[in-house]
Amino acid sequence: MANAKYSAAGLFIRGARKKTWPRVWREAEPKKAYDVVIVGGGVHGLATAYYLASNHGITNVAVVDKAYLGSGGSGRNTAIVRSNYLTPEGVAFYDRSLDLYNTMSTDLNLNVMFSERGHMTLAHTDSALRTMNWRAEVNKLQGIDSSVIGPQEVKREAPSLDVSANTRYPILGALYHPPGGTIRHDAVVWAYARAADSYGVDLIQKCEVLDITCEGGEGSESDSADGKGAGGKVTGVKTNLGDISAPIVVNCTAGWASTISDMAGVKLPITTHPLQAAVTEPVKTFLPTVVVSGSLHVYVSQTDRGELVFGASVDPVATYDMRGTLAFTEELAGHVLELMPGISKMRLLRQWAGLCDMTPDYSPVMGHTQVGGYLVDVGWGTYGFKAGPVSGEQMAEAIATESMPELIAPFTLSRFTEGTLVGEKGAAAVGH
Amino acid sequence: MSFVSIRLPSAGSEVIDRARPVTFSWNGKKLKAFTGDTIASAILANGDHIFGRSMKYHRPRGVLTADFWDPNLFVQVDDEPNVRAAHRLVENGMKVTSQNVWPSLKYDVKAANGLVGRFLTAGFYYKTFMKPAKLWPAYERILARFAPGGEVDLDTPHGYYDKRYAHPDVVVAGAGPAGLAAAIAAARAGASVMLVEHEHQVGGHLLWGSDDDRAAAAGMLTDARNLGVEILTNSTVTGRYEDNWLGILQRNHHIAEERLIKARAKMLIVAGGLIERPYVFAGNDIPGVMTSGAVRRLITMYGIKPGTRAVVLTANESGDAAVADLERAGVEIAEVVDGRTGAFVRSAEGSGRGTNHRLSAVTLSDGTKIDADLLVTAVGWTAPTSLLNMSGDRPVYDPAAARFFPGKTPDNVLATGGMVGDGTHDQLVAHGAATGTLAAGRAAVVQHRLQAATARAAAVDGPEPDYPEDLRTPLGRDPHPALFRSTTHGMVDYSEDVSSKDLFGAAAEGFDSVELIKRFTTATMGPSQGKLETVNTVAVLAEARGETIAEVGTTVWRPPYAPITLGALGGRVFEPVRVSSIQSYHESKGATPILAGQWIRPEHYDDPQAEVTNTRTNVGITDVTPLGKLDLKGPDVPKLLSLLYTNKWMQLPIGGVRYGIMCAEDGVVLDDGVTARLGDEHYLMTTTSSGAGGVWNWIENWLQTEHPDWQVHVTPVTTGFTSINVAGPNSRKLMGRVVAGVDLSNEAFPYMNVRTGTVAGVDDCVMWRIGFTGELSYEIQVPAGYGLHVWEALLADGKDLGIAPFGLEAQRVMRLEKGHFIVGQDTDGLSKAPTTGMTGLLKLDKDDWTGMPEVKWALEGDYPHIVAIQPTDPNCVPEEACQILRGPESNEIVGRITSSRYSPTLNRSICLGQLSPEFAEAGTELTVLLVNGERVTAKVMKHHAHFDPEGERLRG
Ligand SMILES: Cc1cc2nc3c(=O)[nH]c(=O)nc-3n(C[C@H](O)[C@H](O)[C@H](O)COP(=O)(O)OP(=O)(O)OC[C@H]3O[C@@H](n4cnc5c(N)ncnc54)[C@H](O)[C@@H]3O)c2cc1C
Repeated sequence: MANAKYSAAGLFIRGARKKTWPRVWREAEPKKAYDVVIVGGGVHGLATAYYLASNHGITNVAVVDKAYLGSGGSGRNTAIVRSNYLTPEGVAFYDRSLDLYNTMSTDLNLNVMFSERGHMTLAHTDSALRTMNWRAEVNKLQGIDSSVIGPQEVKREAPSLDVSANTRYPILGALYHPPGGTIRHDAVVWAYARAADSYGVDLIQKCEVLDITCEGGEGSESDSADGKGAGGKVTGVKTNLGDISAPIVVNCTAGWASTISDMAGVKLPITTHPLQAAVTEPVKTFLPTVVVSGSLHVYVSQTDRGELVFGASVDPVATYDMRGTLAFTEELAGHVLELMPGISKMRLLRQWAGLCDMTPDYSPVMGHTQVGGYLVDVGWGTYGFKAGPVSGEQMAEAIATESMPELIAPFTLSRFTEGTLVGEKGAAAVGH
Repeated sequence: MSFVSIRLPSAGSEVIDRARPVTFSWNGKKLKAFTGDTIASAILANGDHIFGRSMKYHRPRGVLTADFWDPNLFVQVDDEPNVRAAHRLVENGMKVTSQNVWPSLKYDVKAANGLVGRFLTAGFYYKTFMKPAKLWPAYERILARFAPGGEVDLDTPHGYYDKRYAHPDVVVAGAGPAGLAAAIAAARAGASVMLVEHEHQVGGHLLWGSDDDRAAAAGMLTDARNLGVEILTNSTVTGRYEDNWLGILQRNHHIAEERLIKARAKMLIVAGGLIERPYVFAGNDIPGVMTSGAVRRLITMYGIKPGTRAVVLTANESGDAAVADLERAGVEIAEVVDGRTGAFVRSAEGSGRGTNHRLSAVTLSDGTKIDADLLVTAVGWTAPTSLLNMSGDRPVYDPAAARFFPGKTPDNVLATGGMVGDGTHDQLVAHGAATGTLAAGRAAVVQHRLQAATARAAAVDGPEPDYPEDLRTPLGRDPHPALFRSTTHGMVDYSEDVSSKDLFGAAAEGFDSVELIKRFTTATMGPSQGKLETVNTVAVLAEARGETIAEVGTTVWRPPYAPITLGALGGRVFEPVRVSSIQSYHESKGATPILAGQWIRPEHYDDPQAEVTNTRTNVGITDVTPLGKLDLKGPDVPKLLSLLYTNKWMQLPIGGVRYGIMCAEDGVVLDDGVTARLGDEHYLMTTTSSGAGGVWNWIENWLQTEHPDWQVHVTPVTTGFTSINVAGPNSRKLMGRVVAGVDLSNEAFPYMNVRTGTVAGVDDCVMWRIGFTGELSYEIQVPAGYGLHVWEALLADGKDLGIAPFGLEAQRVMRLEKGHFIVGQDTDGLSKAPTTGMTGLLKLDKDDWTGMPEVKWALEGDYPHIVAIQPTDPNCVPEEACQILRGPESNEIVGRITSSRYSPTLNRSICLGQLSPEFAEAGTELTVLLVNGERVTAKVMKHHAHFDPEGERLRG
């Protein structure tokens, strides 16, 4: 099932012979049974499938998605990656992800266009500056390239920013993280999909999981005799394309995570909020780094195509509705112009929203649950894209070894009943 | 063949004013045009027909649709990038330049990409540049050079933009015959109507129709005006959001550069007409290939002769009319290809270099090759249903009519005109009028319901009118041949340089749903957001998959309908600054300001260390107005306080003050402050300055969602009072001079008490005996209007007592000397209440309080402790952020410095920090890593307070 290898020479030869490329992944029909069924064809689900196959030789795996691959957060995010988090756990984890992203294009033979353009979090108040200093100190001790820079250096990195003192929110400095940057989100999804497919993993689109079947559990809220819930064991999933049996079911559904988890009788401490984003028309590139302002609830980067990509914090209301609002674009534009007054004539081209699965401590929930064979990789909120590779790698290990790898041990579901939350509120809220 | 476009003799149909010439420059050349010309018609009139180059292959491009959506006509105008040349009117002095050209429009080096196009299939960049990995950044920079679009001038000033709110009964989007008729009928039925037209004139396709058409448009315009319809031209309904909240961009306001009108419309009528689809064939982007609408507009409205010898491919009336228009303009008709008979155009070729490149020949389906410099296509329509999609509608494909139609819209959104069907002028007008009447009827019902639901002086007139059902006679649908792609491959997305061949390739690779193909090839992602491209993309994909267009379906059209400048969205950026009523004093004394949230506060007037010393020896006053203040009234306030705070509140006597810590549900410290009981059912709560808004929300959330039965009324009064803290050994003496009617003796008014009385002649001041500074102190809350008066009175009366104002910095030093933690500085997003060390306040024997279970857990296990720390070197002040390490050789973090200052009182450096419990014992020696990398030692102190740990001064 080897793929035709991507390369410049390949492009040339196929161009000359007028041959098209083979399918990125096969169109697969669901089989009756798999060793592992992964629900959700975003970066997390696909990476998990890929590492299961490549690192552990587990290939009788299906990834099912109710729409198309990458239709969730993975195809809607603003693709900012970085590792300058606040807690040692967070730093170690995201740094591993960044490593995997760094070599992904060659590892998976598909250019994911990782652009290591640097990531700047602006401080507009002395308290923000204090937090930046704190993060820089923690990062430095962990060997992460991260430091606090002054307004003049900010200006040097991003000349479009107004660093004068008489603005409404003066820029007092920034946490600068040169290894951070952006990546092409769709390419990451396709790279994992193609690589997983090459190992024989079935990728099944337009396949919606309607229920998770279990046996032996204490029963769910709605039905005490359905075998779900604590003490139980997964037997498979019901989908619009038929029933699939599997001893292991992994929930990688981000914004829909709690609804899927309910199907196994496992309650998650997650609320789903929309997060909005927008892009402008393209102009010649002028913004070389990613700029984030927590106080102004906005972040911006410029793609290689010249569009400015904007994001903000999650909408305050919990909902599964993915419609954008006018107020979002107004506030966004106002705040962006505070930072870069020179771009008032650029035009907003498109806005959209995606769903974010928020946990109380702004950290994910990963690993095994009280239902045997039912695993979760959820709670990715506004920051899960950058974590895709490492999550897939670690989840695959958790499945294969039936244990919890050290890197993700802090993120177990049980922390909410044992009082060991992880504290990334400060670093993750608008940081992405 | 070389072609020069020329201005036709003047005609009654034109929109240009030949009596008012305009001069502008185009790529450095000075050119003349007329008022009313678009930039495109102005340039064409001067004989140029190439406007720029395409994004990927840098192919020369000319007019395609000659309207707002033309993908080939993006130009730079002065400091404004991406101006749509066929829409923007030319003005005197405009400096217009082409985009995407390097080094010039005429000789473009990147055009070489065109030669290797076969190898640069869509998404080629995903398949290469992987190795060597080190080189990718260099490749990336090269790709970025191909970024399309103009240039921003970072020195552009933020212009004058504005916003307006409107509450019309009916908004009509589009002022063609149907839209005009709808607006008129709605207004006749009594509705207030706003008619929004994207173009510069109302009339829609009537403008380039017959004289009768234009007369009809003019008549309807007069009617609409007379009926008081508000008519906005050069304006676009950019978005329809929840409950008919509309964004309308007005581009021709007489003062504002652009204005965003936000309208809550009771009814929205979408009458946006139809957009003409380009035809896909080899050479379809050669300059000289245009849609029928393009040539009709150019000839009729702008007096431009678009070519000399034309082939016309027509499958509908618009194409037929174009033939007549071309003949009238003196263009030789070489051939009319009738698409209704099954004939089509196979391919086109061009000749000429640089800016002379132009169509030279057209090959028809039967193989005949015809010389021509103009190829006009009329192959069908796209219904721009974006606004309907934003209302939840999904368009439905009708194969007989070869276009998409709206599906089902919500009751408050109606569609009319070409978007919903075909008809004669009279039929379109009749449908529009029926739609207008229906909308007005529904709007009246909505209005009635709104009035009935709102408290007002008089009752609503009469009973609710009946809700009108939709009884309109639907418009018919004319059959139309399905002409999407010829037998050759051509451009599908002109702005992205995506061809039908790219789409076939992508589909074969498995990117075979609309969403995936769009993402992979970037088709429909450009500036016209699929208005021209989506349906052709779907059609080509359907062909590649061997499916029908209906099976493939379409993508979701997202807002905005047309791009909006950030300036218009941001408006006159309004970010309030908050200052206290004493601000004028601070400024007059030259106090150094500091930004604290929305507030501007005096950081210091003089040397902050001297301000500390003066306060500790004499008396100082400071402005603490930003302190959050919430007035709480009602019998259930104690219950609320007990729920919010970790300690007990049921027994607080009148006149008493208590300190409390608030936790979030996860037990993490949310806020702290003192609350006083002023009366039987009357309390005044203070919060941290930064927490004022959040705590108010928090309280309302509890009251409204969890305890709606509790009788508590909350009023935020932060700015209702000016807050002044009077601190220092002489403060009681000073208070004695200004306060009337309150016994200030320590017995009558002890520490942690509150009194209401008169200060400097101002009644109703609230005085608290509390002290963040650790000194004997009084916090006075003065009705805000008298703040400055009381401040000045204190300064005047305290002269002989050594009074001096002190700023935020001195206050911070003093609080640190006293070891008071600050929420959010000494605590963080993970600090549960026990971390503060205030374990005595954590009343686990209460029924419940927010965060109690988590705090209980925390107390059972390990948690970081806030402790006072003193560096061994008294002159070393470690930065707030410094990490504390396990030992001199270790890199393991065991804590950090959260606050640090030099204390003038103790003549040494002092800190607060968080430490893991094994290091929190008094006397423990610590290793502190300074920001410069140096490691120093420090010691954990016994008490949080570095100074006066017993609190004798503040109780005295
Ligand atoms: C606007 C926006 C900006 C963001 N910016 C960033 C950023 O800059 N950096 C960053 O790191 N993160 C960012 N994020 C967060 C990031 O996108 C997500 O955390 C991440 O994509 C989650 O990936 P996933 O694979 O877990 O889930 P998703 O990609 O959301 O995939 C979940 C999939 O589950 C499928 N599914 C749901 N229910 C079912 C069912 N019943 N049956 C079958 N399939 C189902 C869905 O169709 C979906 O495809 C952003 C998010 C948004 C919305």
